[in-house]
Formats: sequence, C-alpha cells, structure tokens
Amino acid sequence: MTRRPLRPRFVAFGSSTLLLSGLISGCSSSSGAAESGGSTPVQGGTITYAHVQEPSCIFGGWIQQAYISRQILDGLVTEDDNGAIKPWLATAWTVSPDGLSYTFTLKSGVKFTDGTPVDAAAIAWNFDLWENHSGNASAKVSMDPYYKSAKALDPTHVKITLNKPFPQFLRLITQGYYGIQSPTAFKSRTRQENCEKPIGSGAFKVKQWKRGEEVVLVKNPNYTSWPATAKHHGPAIVNEVDWKFVADGVSRYASLTTGQANVVYQVPTSNWTDAQQKYQPIRFITPGKPVSFNLNTKQGVFTDKLVRQAFAYGADRKAAVKAGFHGVIPYEGNPALDQATPDYNAQAAQAYPFDQAKANALLDRAGWRKGAAGIRTKNGKRLTVRLVYGSGYVLTKEGETVLQILQEQWKQTGFEVKLIPATQAEGFSGKYSSPSTYDATPEYWCNSSPAVLWIVWRPTTKAAPNYNNESFYNNDQLAKTIQQANTEQDTAKAGQLYQKAQQVVQDNAVSIGLYPQTSLYAVAKNLKNVWLEKSQGEPVFSDAYFTK
Amino acid sequence: MTVSPLPTAGARLVRLDRLRIRPSTAVSLIVVLWVLLATIAPDLLTNRSPTAIDLGGTMQAPSWNHPFGTDQAGRDLFTRVIYGARQSMGIGLGATALAMVIAVLLGFTAGLAGGFLDAVITRVVEVTFAFPALLLALLVISVRGPSQATELIAVGIGSAPGYARMVRGQVLNVRQAAYIEAAAALGHNRWTVIRQHLFPNAMRPLVAVMTLGIGQSVVWASSLSFLGLGVPPPSSEWGALLDAGREYITTSWWLEILPGLVIIVVALAATSLGRTLQHKLEGAAS
Amino acid sequence: MVIAAASLTFLAQLLMPGDRATALMNVQTGQQKRWTAAELAPVNKEFGFDRPLPVQYLHYLGGLFRGDLGTSYTQHRPVTQVIGGQLAPTLILTLGALVTAWVLAVAITVLTVKRTRAVSALGSTWEALTASLPNYWVGVVLLVVFAVKLPLFPVIGGSNAWGTVLPLATLAIPLAGFLGQVTRDELEKVLDQPFVTTARTRGMSDTAVRLRHALRHAVLPAITLSGWALGALVSGAIITENIFARPGIGQVLVTAVNTRDVPTVSGIVLVVAVAYVVANLLVDVAYALVDPRLRGRS
Repeated sequence: MTRRPLRPRFVAFGSSTLLLSGLISGCSSSSGAAESGGSTPVQGGTITYAHVQEPSCIFGGWIQQAYISRQILDGLVTEDDNGAIKPWLATAWTVSPDGLSYTFTLKSGVKFTDGTPVDAAAIAWNFDLWENHSGNASAKVSMDPYYKSAKALDPTHVKITLNKPFPQFLRLITQGYYGIQSPTAFKSRTRQENCEKPIGSGAFKVKQWKRGEEVVLVKNPNYTSWPATAKHHGPAIVNEVDWKFVADGVSRYASLTTGQANVVYQVPTSNWTDAQQKYQPIRFITPGKPVSFNLNTKQGVFTDKLVRQAFAYGADRKAAVKAGFHGVIPYEGNPALDQATPDYNAQAAQAYPFDQAKANALLDRAGWRKGAAGIRTKNGKRLTVRLVYGSGYVLTKEGETVLQILQEQWKQTGFEVKLIPATQAEGFSGKYSSPSTYDATPEYWCNSSPAVLWIVWRPTTKAAPNYNNESFYNNDQLAKTIQQANTEQDTAKAGQLYQKAQQVVQDNAVSIGLYPQTSLYAVAKNLKNVWLEKSQGEPVFSDAYFTK
Repeated sequence: MTVSPLPTAGARLVRLDRLRIRPSTAVSLIVVLWVLLATIAPDLLTNRSPTAIDLGGTMQAPSWNHPFGTDQAGRDLFTRVIYGARQSMGIGLGATALAMVIAVLLGFTAGLAGGFLDAVITRVVEVTFAFPALLLALLVISVRGPSQATELIAVGIGSAPGYARMVRGQVLNVRQAAYIEAAAALGHNRWTVIRQHLFPNAMRPLVAVMTLGIGQSVVWASSLSFLGLGVPPPSSEWGALLDAGREYITTSWWLEILPGLVIIVVALAATSLGRTLQHKLEGAAS
Repeated sequence: MVIAAASLTFLAQLLMPGDRATALMNVQTGQQKRWTAAELAPVNKEFGFDRPLPVQYLHYLGGLFRGDLGTSYTQHRPVTQVIGGQLAPTLILTLGALVTAWVLAVAITVLTVKRTRAVSALGSTWEALTASLPNYWVGVVLLVVFAVKLPLFPVIGGSNAWGTVLPLATLAIPLAGFLGQVTRDELEKVLDQPFVTTARTRGMSDTAVRLRHALRHAVLPAITLSGWALGALVSGAIITENIFARPGIGQVLVTAVNTRDVPTVSGIVLVVAVAYVVANLLVDVAYALVDPRLRGRS
C-alpha cells in the first residue's frame, strides 16, 4: 500500500456543513430565525439537553457512555459526512506499505484539562488501557485481534502496530469509545473520580453530576483541539451544557415544547411530524448491525434453513416497521449491516419480501403441517418460536408494537410466536444467552465500520468462544470472507468481500432484518450549529450558539 | 390506595333482607357483574379479536364502530379492554387469594399460639407491612422474570402483611368472645372450636376487606405493568394498555385515558361494594 | 430487624439468575451476552466475587457495623454517598405528600361529614374516587394537563420547589382520599357519641366541636396508618420519580435492581427499614399527643 500523507485541513464553515444539510429538513434559516426573533449569534448561554438513559459512569463501552464522553474526550481522528477520515488530535498519519503500522502526528500544544500534555506517550497509554487493562471492552472488541502495540516515537509521534493489515482500523477509532484520557489523572485519582469526572482535552469538562437528574458540563476555556469537521475554531461558544436524563418520552418531548430544553434526544415517533414543523429535526441512522432477529441455528425450530426462510417471508416486516414507528424509522431488510454502514449490500436487503404463499410452501416442504388453530406441527411438536427481547433497553415501546404486529402475521403462516420480554436485569445477567433459552432475539450493534461483521459472525471455537454470535452460527466460508475483507488493502476489493459476506448471512437466513438503530433529535430554532458525530451520532455542542 | 385495614368487630350472620340496596351500590354491582362477565366470557361482549391488527386503521379516535378507538396496530381498544379483564381480574383475584392464604396461616398461628411465636410473626408482619410493596415486587420480578404468575405472586406477597395484621386482630378479638369461651368450657375439642367457631367468625368481616382488596390488587398489578414489568405482550392486561398508551397521551389521548377510567371505575365499584358490605356487617354486629 | 432486612436482600440478589461479574461486564458495555472466564477474572477479583459467599456476607455485615454499606458495583463510589445524595429529594417528596394528604383529608372530612345529604355525598364520593386513582395515572394526567397543555409547572423540574408540586400532588391526592375515608367513618361515629352531644348542649359551636373534640378521636385510626402510608409512599415515589424525571431513591433503586448492584439495593432496603422504625416512633408520639386517654395518663 502506498503512503498516504494526509495534511491537516482546517475548513471553517466549509464542506463539513454538508453533514447538516443532508440530515436537517425544513430548517431553512429564514423561517427559523423569523420565528425566534432574529439571527444574531449570542456568546455564552446554557444548552439544556434532554437525553434518555443515565450511564453508571461517563466513560465506558456502552453507546450511552459514548454520547456523553464525546463532549469531554477528544479522539485521535474523526470521520466527515462522506466517510473520509479527518484529523482531530492527530493532524496527519502515515500507513506503512505492508499496512501493519500507523504513525500519527499529534497536534502540538494540546493539553488535558488537568494541564498535562496530550503527547504520544499519553496516546500509547490509552491504547494499552483499552486493549490490556479492561479500559473499554467495546474499544477492545473493535480492534481485536488486529491490534498489537502502541509506542511513542517522540512527544508528537505515536506508532500503532497491527498483527495483520486492517484498513478499517482508522474508521473504527473514530468512535466515541476511543476518547483519549489523561494518564496522569487516571492513575493518580480514585476510581470514583475517573468514573464521574474523566479528564480529557475536550470542549467541555464535567462540573457536577447530580445523579438521577443531570450532568452539568462547563466549557473548557483553553480548548484547542477541535476536529477538522468542526464548524468554528476555538472553545465552545456556550458556557454550559445541562445534560439531563429524562427517561419518559412524553416528558422529554414536552420539555422542548415548553421551552425547558433546547435539544431533545429520541423524540417519540408519534411526535416527529410536529417536531419537523416546529423545530430543527435531525434523523440519524447509526451505522452497524441493524436491529435484526438473530435466529438460533443450534437448537430448536430454526436449525432448519427452510423454516428460517419461511419465517423471513412470513410477515410483512416493512409494513410492521412503518406502523410501529409511524413511518419515521426506515425498514432494513439487510440483517448484517444497515444502510448507513460503508459497503452496505443494498441488493441483499431486497431478499425475502412479504410472501405468505412462499412461507407456507417452505414450511410444507420442511414437513410442518397445519394443525389445531392454524399452528403447524411436526411429529407432534408445535412450531413454537420463543422470541426473547430486551424490553425497554433494546426495543422501545414502538419496537414492541412492531413485534406484536409481526406475531399476528406469523400466526397466519402457522408460527406460534411467544414474545418473552427480558428485563434489563435479566439481559445483563446473561440469562438469555445460551442456545437453550431462545429461538429468536432482536439485537443491534452500533459500529461505524463493516468490520462489525467479524465481531458478530466470528465462529465460536473452543479456545475463543464468540458470545456476540447470537445465532450460534459457525460458517467457515463466511468467516474467511470477512477475514479477507478486513485485511484487504484494496478498498474496492474489500468492499466486494464485505458485500459477499452480507449476502451469505442473508442467503442462510441466520438473521432477519428489521430496522436500523435510529436517533431522532429535535433542536430549538434559536440554537444553531448542533451537529452529530458521524460514527455514532453523538450530538456535538461545541460549535452551537444561540441567536436572538 | 390499598385495603382498608380497619379493625372490624366480630359479626353474626348477615341476612340478605337487611342489605338495603342503595343506587350507588346497585351501580357498583352492575359494574362488577359486567367485569365478571368480561372475565368469564369476553366473546359475549364483543365479536372482535383483541389481537386482530388493521394497519390501515391505526390510531383512530373513538367512534361508533370503535367506541374506545384503535391503537397503533389498529387493534380495537374496547375489545382489548374486555379481554384484558380476564388477566387483570385473574391477577386481582389470584393475588388476593394468595395474600389471604398467607395471612390466614400467619394470622392464626400468631393469634392462637401467642407468646414468642406471636411476637416474632407480628414483628415480621409489621416490618413487611411498611416495606414498600413495589420494592418487594421488583425483587420478586428480578428473580423470576416478568410473567402473569410472577405478577400475581408479587402483588399477593405485597398485600399479605396487611391482611395478616387484620386476621390476627380478628382472632384475638373473637377468641375472647363469650361463645368461644362457652364452647371451650363445654369441652369441645380445640380444633373443632377453631374450625367451627373461631375461623368462620374471625373471617366473616374479612370478606368485605377482600372485596376492597381485589380492586386494589388490580390497581397494583397495573402499576407493575406500567413500569414495564408486568404481563408480556400481546396481553391486554389493563396496566399494559396504560403502559403502551402513555406515549400517545398528547397525540391519541384515548389510549391512555379510557383504560385508566376503566380501572378507576372498577376499583371504585369494588371499593364501594366492599365498604357497603363492611358497613352492613358492622351494623349487623352492633 | 434492620440486619435481617439487609441479609434478606443480600440473599435475594444472589438468587437472581446469572452471576454478578457477567452482569457488571454487560452493564459496562451495554450488552447481554456471556463472557469468557478470562474476561471475567479481573472483575471477580476486584469485587471479591471469587471469595466464598459466607466470607462475602460476613465482610458485608462487618462493614454495616462500621457504617460502611460497601461500594456500588456500577458507580464506583460508596453506597452511603449514592444514597445520601438522593435521600433528601425522596424524603421531601414523601413527607410533603403525607402532610399534604393529611391537610386535605382533615379539611374535607371536617367540612363535609354530617352536613346536608348532598355535601356529605360529595365528600365521600370525592374520597372514594381519589382513593381509587392509580398513582401513575394521576401523575401522567397531571403532567399533561398542568405542565404540557397549561405550562404552569416545569416538565423537568428536578428537585426544586416548583418542580415538586406536581409529583407531590400525584402522591398526596390518592392518599388523601384513603385517609379521608378512614377518618370519615370514625368522625361519623364520634359525632354520635354522648360526649359530643354534651359539648353541644354546653353551647359549643359546631366547628369547635368538630375540631376540638370529635376530630381528636376520629384521626386515631388514620394516624396508625401513617406509618404504613410512608411505605406506600415510597412505592409511589418510585413511579412518580420515573414519570417526572425527578432524582431520588426510587430511581436509584430501579437502576440498581436492573444492574444487580447488590450493595446499593441492600443499602436502600436498610435505609427504608430505618426510616420505618423512625416513622413508627413518630406515629406512637403523634398517637400519644392526640389520644386524650393516653394524654391523661402521662
């Protein structure tokens, strides 16, 4: 592979605004400004943001933590709206021809908010923390097993060495899990302090965490390390962000309509039309594996491919998603990757349209005959599907509606689908993680790269079980294809391989697509320049300003 | 909020002709009978299916065709409420029965044994009585996972201490009554006395309290469902309906308001009946 | 008694499916899968899950005596701090609701008992109606009517005074109905008592009779129920805090149960147990102050 020297490109109010124009509809500034009384930018102020879930710590491997840690911690690189990797803490980088080592040049003079420098040693220490010291399980699983070591060459150059070429590496480390923390602070402070007030070099720092209510973020006046995708240069324009936790959807949206919040996350889909008319709506489809039903291929009715395919044909998933989410969230027919992920296979997404005749024929062929009350049986066994889903934390109320609609349709083809909600406690405890506990389970995995295929579909071996493979599906051809794709340095070839892998997943119907994980934000009209990080859709407030 | 644990005096047999029926009692009776009918034979009250979806007719406001409107999957809410009665009342009745069994065991043991055993049971009952029932239910649910049976057990255990207190009080009360002492003095076997005299007389006033309790158990169970810890979908247990409707209260009010009114009316009717019974029994006793 | 409560919770949490290290790893990564032994080992070591259960239990009990409730598995800070920060809003909410409920109940009963048929019926219907209202439904309706449609109160008021009004009303209204029903029954009986008639014949005004003589007797059963009511209010607080996004013990508890944060759950149970003991003492004191017979004796 050729060297790719990438110069830092700081574009003020330039091409990066494309991100917003693509996502925001109906927010032409003229009407918005007229309603809110003007368009004069104001320095200072407090943004009140209503989020949904409160994490246990600000930093960690859960996407809920990535949302907030993005405000406090900076990453090494970021991604622009077109999917190109752009500078952040690293101003430039080179990749060795064999694809095994990445040398990053760091922006000089950047300091953590504890005053210590963001130098090469600090970066190397963070990589070591993620990989070897349980620093962040999601960061680890994204670069495992390609990551080998990180080494500071001099204060402004850090070299990351890989075991195998892995071009997706750069895209993966744009995710919020890879926020750089101050090693000095991390090592010298208590675990509690690190949990509540991680020290980074970001545009904001944690002032106070009122548990159960809000995290108060104040601006970092000495901020110098904005990403290339930023919309202005300099510290945050507002003084404070009150990051509130409002679990109830009605209250959350009402906090915006009554003017108590300026930005809300996850607008209930039934309020989306209203939000589009009154506010600046931002709909973000999170890349990665969409919400799709992982079918248990090891035990039970879905060990038979014909039954899996019949399951896919048997219900009008598109119509169910449309009804459940009031047409706001799109249907996703590709179970392996969603439409926002690079190298998405749009062709594969078309498979298994709603066709009950086909479903019936497949089930007949598989030997399942219609019995009492229309439920099929075979050798005296009923065609029962235990569908376990994380209630409230994997699927929202809207998602549960989709399941109930599907359940009714599956019944018409002779499936007896039992919906089994798992509480968060049960989900976390791993109660529904072994092959004997479910037949189908909807799950998603947010990830900015098609390399997520390896996380989900890596076959289980005795030495290294893959518990993320919830279909318990071991397919060597699939594994080989993904591995080839991950190490392929020719972008076009890699893309073809990723697409092939998605096709294999779809052909075998080991998972059935439903909808992509989607974020719905609404921003008050007098607040400008709120934008979303491309990798996971975290809101960015450092460029935002109020108008009057 | 929950049962009225009023200390009630022992009572003699109530004769039906003494139950002068007031209009409010009559209405309550009708409501309760209607709910019982919905519980036993929901198909007599509606010819629709509670799970039949109609994606072309979602979120319709109440009309002649759909008196309670339709939900986000186009299901008829009135039908869902009717069919939900079985689950809600099943939990209400089951939980009250379970609570009573526990209460009778504890209450009689404490009331009859006296001494150390009484002290221990009384203390345990006192503590669990004040212990937030919802917390107890949360613990039960996190051990067993959400299901109709779990909900029944959680509500039953949660309301048992209140009844146990009353049962013990009644036992102590009745024990001192003259006819019990007389029976004992006549040399009747201890168990016979308990079975033939003590038990029926101690339990009679509790019939009213149980009637009160059923309504309250329904409300309780719906609270758990409201927290998303109740009966799994597509059940139309009333609390589950409220839980699903909460999100639409500003856009499709009927999904939250109408099932809520149904719960209130039923709880009100059960309470009213229970209190009428209680008054009559007290009246009969004095 | 307090220790028994803590021990029970400790055991109940251990009865839950799955092991704690798995739950912790999943909480930290937002997943619901199994982990390999190698991945779990550091967690087990850190929290001492690898030690035998009796040792863990004794260690926990030992801490209790030193006033140490342990460290939260998920928040990495002492449980005393986790609870301490959330205790005040819940106390304000529950005690405030209790007081409000009492004021409402007494006012309505005194004003409506044994008046004209219509007024009495109005009072008792109001009580029966409010007593049947499920907390959560009241909360949602109040929120929508008084915070969303008529923006009189904040939707996300946190724990400030103005934001406390609606949550407080949510808890107080059904409780007032319940206390009112109990008090009404007693008041009706008491007003028929001979000593009331005597007081009236001495020329005492109706209001004075109600307030100075009858009420004193009539509130006794409701006072005994107040200890219980506090427990019920804590249940209600869990729901109310959820609806109004209000910080407090209820929210912490639900999260802790969900994440299997054993020390935090046990800690909260302990605090509730202690609160109950205190509440019962207060109830006894109140009883003694109000009951004329007991007062005469002391």
